[in-house]
Amino acid sequence: MIQTIEASPDEIYDIELEHSLLEANARLAKENRILLDGHGITGIDIMGAIGSGKTTLIGRLVAKLKDRLGVAVFNGDATTSSDADLIAAQKVPVVQIATVNGCHLDANLVAKALRKIDLDGLRLIFIENIGNLICPAEFPLGSKARVVVVSVTEGQYMVRKHPHMFLGAHLVVINKVDLAEAMNVSVAQLAEDVRILKPDIKVIPTSCKAGTGLDEVAAELLAI
Amino acid sequence: MHEFSIASSIVESVLEFAAKNKIEKILEVRLLVGELMAVEWEQLRFCYGAITRETAMENSSLEIEQVEAAVSCPYCSYRGRPKYWEDALAAFPIVTLQCPQCGMAAESTQGKECAIKTIRYMA
Ligand SMILES: Nc1nc2c(ncn2[C@@H]2O[C@H](COP(=O)(O)OP(=O)(O)OP(=O)(O)O)[C@@H](O)[C@H]2O)c(=O)[nH]1
Ligand SMILES: [Mg+2]
Ligand SMILES: [Zn+2]
Repeated sequence: MIQTIEASPDEIYDIELEHSLLEANARLAKENRILLDGHGITGIDIMGAIGSGKTTLIGRLVAKLKDRLGVAVFNGDATTSSDADLIAAQKVPVVQIATVNGCHLDANLVAKALRKIDLDGLRLIFIENIGNLICPAEFPLGSKARVVVVSVTEGQYMVRKHPHMFLGAHLVVINKVDLAEAMNVSVAQLAEDVRILKPDIKVIPTSCKAGTGLDEVAAELLAI
Repeated sequence: MHEFSIASSIVESVLEFAAKNKIEKILEVRLLVGELMAVEWEQLRFCYGAITRETAMENSSLEIEQVEAAVSCPYCSYRGRPKYWEDALAAFPIVTLQCPQCGMAAESTQGKECAIKTIRYMA
C-alpha cells in the first residue's frame, strides 16, 4: 500500500475540506421532519436486532390505534415483503422500502416513501428499520422518536454489546419477556444497563405474545 | 455494514473535488471520526481500498483521527469528558450519557463527527 511516486515536495498539496459525510442525510432528515410536523404527524423509527419483534410490535400497536387515529407503516425489509404483507392485512397504508445495501434506511428513502402516501389525516407513521443494531444509529430519518426493540432472547449482555444504539434512543422496549425465565435473563438488569448508558430514557418491558406492556408503549408514543 | 456507505461517500466527495480541480492523483485522505460513532476502522479501510481501485484515489492512504466525546449536563452544568462504563466487562471502553458529576442525563456535545478533514494530492 506504500506510495512510491517520485515527486518533489512542492508538488504535493494539502487542502482542508472539512466536509461532513453525514450532513447530506441529516439535511434530508430535517426536511422529512418539517414535512411531518407540518401535517401533525409523529414519525417513529423502530430499530433493533433481527427478530427482536419490531414487526410484531408495530402490528400490535397498529391494531390498538388504527380505529382512533390515522396510522401508516414504512417497512424497511431488506429482502422479502412478508413483513409488509402482515401489516397491510390490517388495511392501513404500508410502504415497503427496499435498501440497496440491506444495511439501514436513510432519510432519502424515507422521503421517497413519504411521497407515496396521502399524509392528510395521519397521526403516526411507524418506520421499521433494518434489523441491525449498529448501522441505523448514524442515519437519522426525520422521525420524532427512535425506539429500540431488544428481546430477552438476545441474552443478558446485549445492551453492553451495542451501546451506541441506545445513546440516540428515546424509548427502549424489552420484548419477549414471556421468555425471560426460560432464557435465564433478568429484565430488570437489562433495563438497568440501559439506564446506565442514558439515565433519562424510558424502558418498557413487553410481551407481544401475551399483550403486556403494549398500552404503555402506545401511550408513551402518543405523548411524544 | 455502514462502513461501506461511509467509504462510498468519502470516495464520491473526493473524486468530485478532484475532477473539479483537475487533480489526477490523491495521496491521502484524513478523516475525523467521533468516539460516539460506531465506525469499525478496519472495515472502513477495507471498503475504501476496494472502492478506490482504478480511480484517482487508488493506493491513497486513509488516515483516521478520533474526536473524543464530550458532554454537557443541563442539571449541574458539568462540561467535559463523558463518564465511561467501567465495569461493563466489554472489550472496549463504553461511553455513557450519564453525567460524571451528578449522575443525571447529560447531552453529547462532541463525538458524533464523521468528516473529511484534509486531502493530500499531487498536482
Ligand atoms: N415469545 C414471543 N415471541 C415473540 C414476541 N414478539 C415477537 N415474537 C416472535 O419473534 C419472531 C420475530 O418477530 P418479528 O416481529 O418478525 O421480528 P422483527 O424484529 O420484525 O424481525 P426482522 O424484521 O426480521 O428483523 C416471530 O416469530 C414473532 O412471533 C414476544 O413478545 N414473545
Ligand atoms: Mg420485521
Ligand atoms: Zn450533572
